Amino acid sequence: MIDVVNVRKSYKSGTRSVEALRGISCHIERGRFAFIVGPSGSGKSTLLYMLGAVDRPTQGDIIVDGESLGAMSESAQNDYRREKVGFIFQSFNLISNLSAVDNVLIPFLPRGVTAEQRQRAVTLLTQVGLGDRLDHRPHQLSGGEQQRVAIARALVKQPVLVLADEPTGELDSKTGDEIYKILRSMQQTYKTTLVVVTHDRRFITPRDLVLEIQDGHLIAGPTDALAPHPHPEPHPSGR
Amino acid sequence: MGKFAWRNLLTRPLRTTLALIGLSIPILGVLGLFSLSNGLRDMVGDTLSQIEGVMVIRENAPSPVFSTLPADLAGKIRAIPGVRAVAPEVWGIAPNVEGQGMLMRSVGGLVSKKGPASLLDQTVISGQDIPAHANLKSAVFPRSLREKGEGRFLDEGDRGKPNIVISRKIAREFPRPDGSPRGVGDTLRIADVDYTIIGLYETGSMLLDVVVLMDIDSARKALKMPDELVSSIYVEAENPNGNDAISATIEADEPGVDARSMNEVQADFGTLMGQVDTFLMMTVSLALLVGVVGIVNTMLMSTTERFIEFGVLRTLGWSRTNVLSLVTLESAYLGLLSGLLGCALAWLGTVAANQFIEGGLRLALSPQLLAFGVGLSLVMGTLGGLYPAWQAARMVPMEAIRLGSR
Repeated sequence: MIDVVNVRKSYKSGTRSVEALRGISCHIERGRFAFIVGPSGSGKSTLLYMLGAVDRPTQGDIIVDGESLGAMSESAQNDYRREKVGFIFQSFNLISNLSAVDNVLIPFLPRGVTAEQRQRAVTLLTQVGLGDRLDHRPHQLSGGEQQRVAIARALVKQPVLVLADEPTGELDSKTGDEIYKILRSMQQTYKTTLVVVTHDRRFITPRDLVLEIQDGHLIAGPTDALAPHPHPEPHPSGR
Repeated sequence: MGKFAWRNLLTRPLRTTLALIGLSIPILGVLGLFSLSNGLRDMVGDTLSQIEGVMVIRENAPSPVFSTLPADLAGKIRAIPGVRAVAPEVWGIAPNVEGQGMLMRSVGGLVSKKGPASLLDQTVISGQDIPAHANLKSAVFPRSLREKGEGRFLDEGDRGKPNIVISRKIAREFPRPDGSPRGVGDTLRIADVDYTIIGLYETGSMLLDVVVLMDIDSARKALKMPDELVSSIYVEAENPNGNDAISATIEADEPGVDARSMNEVQADFGTLMGQVDTFLMMTVSLALLVGVVGIVNTMLMSTTERFIEFGVLRTLGWSRTNVLSLVTLESAYLGLLSGLLGCALAWLGTVAANQFIEGGLRLALSPQLLAFGVGLSLVMGTLGGLYPAWQAARMVPMEAIRLGSR
């Protein structure tokens, strides 16, 4: 499903160059619940957003469902993010002037929302327990409820991959438990591959795939998670 | 996306309102000035349509009031084939009416609302060669007296006598001691001579309703003009279609003379108003520019504040073009609303102003002018949003996400 092949990422911070990822290779199977763990600044979120084609590797490549993200044009990356990937952010990032339903439908707004898409959004919000709050604005919802809207937004496009960046980082532990219950339930229902970046290992179960990153290196993970080609030629599109 | 853009504007009501006011005021200015310009065109058009003959004056004189011609020119024009009637006239600004000089009439009119209200609204004396004018078919003042006035017009019996015909407007501006308008049989004191009012006319044009009509010799005395001069000569052709040909003949035969048919005057006025419109547009463009800068500022502040929002939208699959369209749509809405507000204010303003403006001038706000106002505002709003929209579209989503995660 996902092959990360010797990915390096560096960027400028003022006058110095920062190596965020230093040659990461791994493999994530379809339908897995995967965690990327590690200390702050280790490169977890950088890897996560590169899986979502929000950022490009400086070197190496990421292949999702047989498609090289590095070789994609900007337009193809937009299509990939709109159709195949769902994002869940730590800060929920809902649009304040839109209702819960309209927030879920944001990915479809530029091309027009169909009745089928709207019905799907209502169904998803009902499944995450917000059937009675469809028309509520974000400020009328608690943090946990806002994150549930964000989960529905990530799933409404029926993605092959959901990427979550510290999804419980701004929630109390009880609400965090509820969010993980919903995430696991939805993953079971929709058979989606889910990759979560977290500090909090309480939510990891023995069946989950855990990738531990430190200082830009993958320092721990199961043997089957390691990519078969640790040192491929750099992709021509890599910067 | 249209609904989303609309809601984004409503989310910041104060800023949206200020931007609306900023652009709607220049639009109001554009529409107000052009409605005045259109009103002037209509008024002059209506006035000139009442005059059918050819007006002969000194070359380059702006009007008969500032023209002098030799009196014997009338005889030469009379000899031109195709000429039916020739009527010499003496014109001049009334030196003193009821003890009020020209300056006094202007300032006093503004302060007391009695007398003419401006330098352009001065009482004018027109001395007519009564037998010659009796031959005219298209004379404006006798016709308006018959249709809307009272009393009688000047006739042979008024030659050499201090008898005058005035407009109802002048009768109101120089009222009796009890405040009521002067009427037929009353007197009006001009240049220390008491003239008897024998008739009242009303053309409805502020350009014509300022004229005091009297015998040409009486006018010469009042204006201190020598007998061998006249101000202008009004000429009628046998056939009204022959006016332009007669004008050309007069100008060819008499150097230093302008002979203008009213069609020609109207065309000249149209050209002049076109130049005035261009000047107005240039002036108003500055105000429009300020309005557009206001829109740019509003949209730039809005996009800067929504940096994270645009990053999230890009992450969720929106393209740069989608973000650009969203912000441009928001500013286009601002432009559209400003245009509608500006048009509504302009319409209310012209309706209110027309209640107070007299003398045939009506501010004219046509549907085409309103559509122009809305269209102009829409274009200005859209253009004003392009730079902020480009700024929003070129942001890098990863930077926005990092900022939002802090």
